[in-house]
This record gives sequence, C-alpha cells and structure tokens, in this order.
Amino acid sequence: METIFGVEASFKQLFASFALAAAGGAGTIVAGWTAWGWYTVLWAALLLAGAAWCAFGPAAGGQAPGGDSMIGRYLHGRDAFGAAVLPVWSRHLENSRTQMEDAVADLATRFSSIVDKLDHALRVSSLEGNQGGQSMTAVFSHSASQLASVVASMKSAMLSKQAMLGQIRDLERFTRELRDMAEGVASIAAQTNLLALNAAIEAARAGPAGAGFAVVAQEVRHLSSRSAETGRNISQRVGQISSAILAASQAAEASSDAEDQSMQSAEGMIDSVLADFRTMTDALVQSSDLLKQESIAIQGEVGEALVQLQFQDRVSQVMSHVRENLALMPTVLEENRRHFEATGELLAPDPAPLLDALKSTYAMAEEHAVHSGSRHVAPKATDADEITFF
Amino acid sequence: MAKTILVVDDSASLRQVVGIALKGAGYDVIEGRDGADALTKCTGQKIHLVVCDVNMPNMDGITFVKEFKKLASYRFTPVIMLTTESQESKKEEGKAAGAKAWVVKPFKPEVLLGAVAKLVLP
Repeated sequence: METIFGVEASFKQLFASFALAAAGGAGTIVAGWTAWGWYTVLWAALLLAGAAWCAFGPAAGGQAPGGDSMIGRYLHGRDAFGAAVLPVWSRHLENSRTQMEDAVADLATRFSSIVDKLDHALRVSSLEGNQGGQSMTAVFSHSASQLASVVASMKSAMLSKQAMLGQIRDLERFTRELRDMAEGVASIAAQTNLLALNAAIEAARAGPAGAGFAVVAQEVRHLSSRSAETGRNISQRVGQISSAILAASQAAEASSDAEDQSMQSAEGMIDSVLADFRTMTDALVQSSDLLKQESIAIQGEVGEALVQLQFQDRVSQVMSHVRENLALMPTVLEENRRHFEATGELLAPDPAPLLDALKSTYAMAEEHAVHSGSRHVAPKATDADEITFF
Repeated sequence: MAKTILVVDDSASLRQVVGIALKGAGYDVIEGRDGADALTKCTGQKIHLVVCDVNMPNMDGITFVKEFKKLASYRFTPVIMLTTESQESKKEEGKAAGAKAWVVKPFKPEVLLGAVAKLVLP
C-alpha cells in the first residue's frame, strides 16, 4: 500500500507540474501575442511558483499535512485498526496466560495433595510410625515375649504342683508306716495279754501268796486289752487317712494330667497364633516396604512433573513480554502518522524501537536465543553445581 | 518446631511448586505475591530463610531484598534468589542487595532443598 501510495503521490506531483507548466507556457505565449508587458511576466512567475509548489511542496500527496488525503485517511485508519485489534490480541494473550497460570497452579495443588496423601498413607501404614513409635515388629516381639513368660509361669506352676504331688505320695508312705506301727502295737498288746494270762495262771497256782500277783496280772491284761483296742483304732484311723490321701493323690494326679494336657494344648495354640501373627506381620512389612518404595517412586515422578510445570512460568513471562510489546504498537503507528502529518514524509514504521523494547524485557537466555532466530530447546533444570553461592 | 520459609514469586504455580518441595522437607511456608506483598508478611515473626523471584510487578526481587535487609529482625536472614534471570550483572545486583545464593529456574526440588539446608538459620 505504501508503495502504491508512493507511486500515486509521484504521479500526482508530476501531473500537477506538467499541467501548470503547460498552462504557464500557453499563458505566456498568449500574453506575448497580446503584448501585455508586466502582466505577462507576473502571470508566468505565479504559474512557475505553483508548479514548483506542486512538485516539491510538503503536501506531495496532493493535500496539506493532516488533511483528508487518501494517505492521511489510511494512516488514521491504520491507527484505528491498531487501536481495535491490538487490545483484543493483548486480552487474548493475557487471558490465555492467566488461564494457563491458574490451570498449572491448580495442577500443582493437586500434585501437592497427592504427595500429602502419599505421605499420610505411608505414615499410617508405616510399621515404624505406629502406636507412638512402637513398630508392628516390636509389638509382635513384645507379645511373643509376654506369652512366653505366661507359658513359663504356667509350667512353673505345673512343676510346683508335681512337687506337691510327690509330697502327698510321701504322706501315703508315712501312713503305711503308721499302719505298720499300729499293727505292731496290736501285736505287742496280744503278746502282753498272753503274758498276763500266763502270769494269772501262775498266780492262781501259787495260791494265796500269788493273790497280789494275780491282781497285777489282771491289770496287765486289762491294759493289754486297751492297748490292743487303741492299736486297732490307730490302724483304722491310719487306714482312713491313707485312703483319703490316696484319693487326694489320685485326684491330684488326674488334675495334673489334665492341666498338663491343657498346658500343652495352650502352648500349641499360642505357637500357632504367634506363627499366624508372624505371617501377617511379615506380609505387612513386605506391603509396607513395597508401599514405601512405590511412594518414593511416585514422589520422584511428581517431583519431575513439578520441574516440568515450571515451563508455565517461563511461557507466562514470554507472553507478558510480547503482550507489553504489542501494547506499544499503537503508539508507534501514531508517531509514524504524526511524523507524516508534520513533515509530509511517509516512512515505513521502524521495527527497531519495538524490538529493542522487547529485548529490554528479556530475562531468560532462551528469549535472547529465540529473538536472534536460533533454535532453542527448553532449558534443563538447574543442577546442584550450577547454584551460585555468594 | 518447623522452620519458616518465606516464598516470594508472582507466579502462583511457582509458589506452589516451591511450597510443595519445602513442605515435603518439613518446612513451614508463608507466601508473598510480589516484593511489596512479601514485606507486609515480615512483621517480626521468625523467618529462617527467604526464597525470592527477581522479576515481579509492584516491587521486584532485588528491591525487596534491599528493603527486607533494612528490617532489624531480618538483617541476618538468608535470601535465595530463584529466577529465570541468568545474567551475571543481575547476579551481582542480587549479591549487592544481600542475597546469599542464586538459583536459575527451572530448578530441581532436591537442588533447591540442598541450598536451603545449607543456608537456613538454625
């Protein structure tokens, strides 16, 4: 358009010059013929001045600066175009930037939530963090230890009971000895009775001289009879006691056997429960280890995703820089138009100020690289050795 | 008791990313949307470290660090600049303002955490 308009302006200039020169020439000839003198010279000077103004004057487009020429209308229209289009482009850019920022922030929040939930799940399921720092393994060991002490206590009680049973058996032996001793007393009583009977016979044979001895023999018989009865009573009581002790001993043995069986059964059940518990604990430990490993792997993935999400910050900055630069465009166009209106010189808008302004906003190496036209890949995340410590 | 870190960045997503990394490592995080907003958060409570962007609206990171360092409570609080800027001249500005480290975005969380662990106040 500028070229077209440029050609059109030159054509108008030439056309006007030639028209005025032709009119001047014709007027001069006519004036010469009519011999009007000074009027002729004045006429020719005016026409030449008009031709010169047309050819070299500021309104080379055919109109005064700022007038309603086609170029002027074009430039005003161009300003209006910029004023109408550029804000819309800027708003779209800003809207996209904002949407992207909101979406990425939301995404980051969700990632944060995932990481928090993973941490929470890990803490809850962790065998190291359960019940005030007491691990499941420790609980198992403690339970096994306590149950073992219970079993040991019960075994100790069983041994005590068996010792008591042994003592009861000893009592039975003592009662047997007592019964033997009672039988010995009865035997002595019988022997004494027989001896007293013989003494009575001998006293009777001695006649009156043996009367006193007969009384003694009678008393000895009487005592032997009482001794025999006492011996029988002792033997009877010892028999009863022995029977009672035997019954108690048998009952205690039966009870001990039952308790021993119960003890063995309880011990077997405890071993079985502990084995099941151990199996479950081992499975939980394995699950927890697996969960821990998976959680660490997922957290690593999330960390990598968070690194990648930082593209939004860079892209947002680039979009902001371009948007700010776009906002300068109407001013550039307006200045270009004002220059034309002031000087009549129609210049193509100069990109340098805009590009310089854009360049001055760059913060990233990639922006400079893209600006200069080189291909640039997204920067890698900073490594530890790339940190600058002051 | 967890240590408190002030994160200053105009990008909400970056604040989130930095916050996730720091909270995951057991730090408490308070946020500022820009330098001016961050200064309103510096009301005397203990701040063990600051992670700060450079290019921000209202008040840029370099100006913020200068103003932050004027506050008596935070004169010795270390500041890590976390920015897309990688020019040496900018780094020198940061150093002159009182920053202790300069990390260029994008960053790996573990790298930032390494710098934080090295500089954070006891």
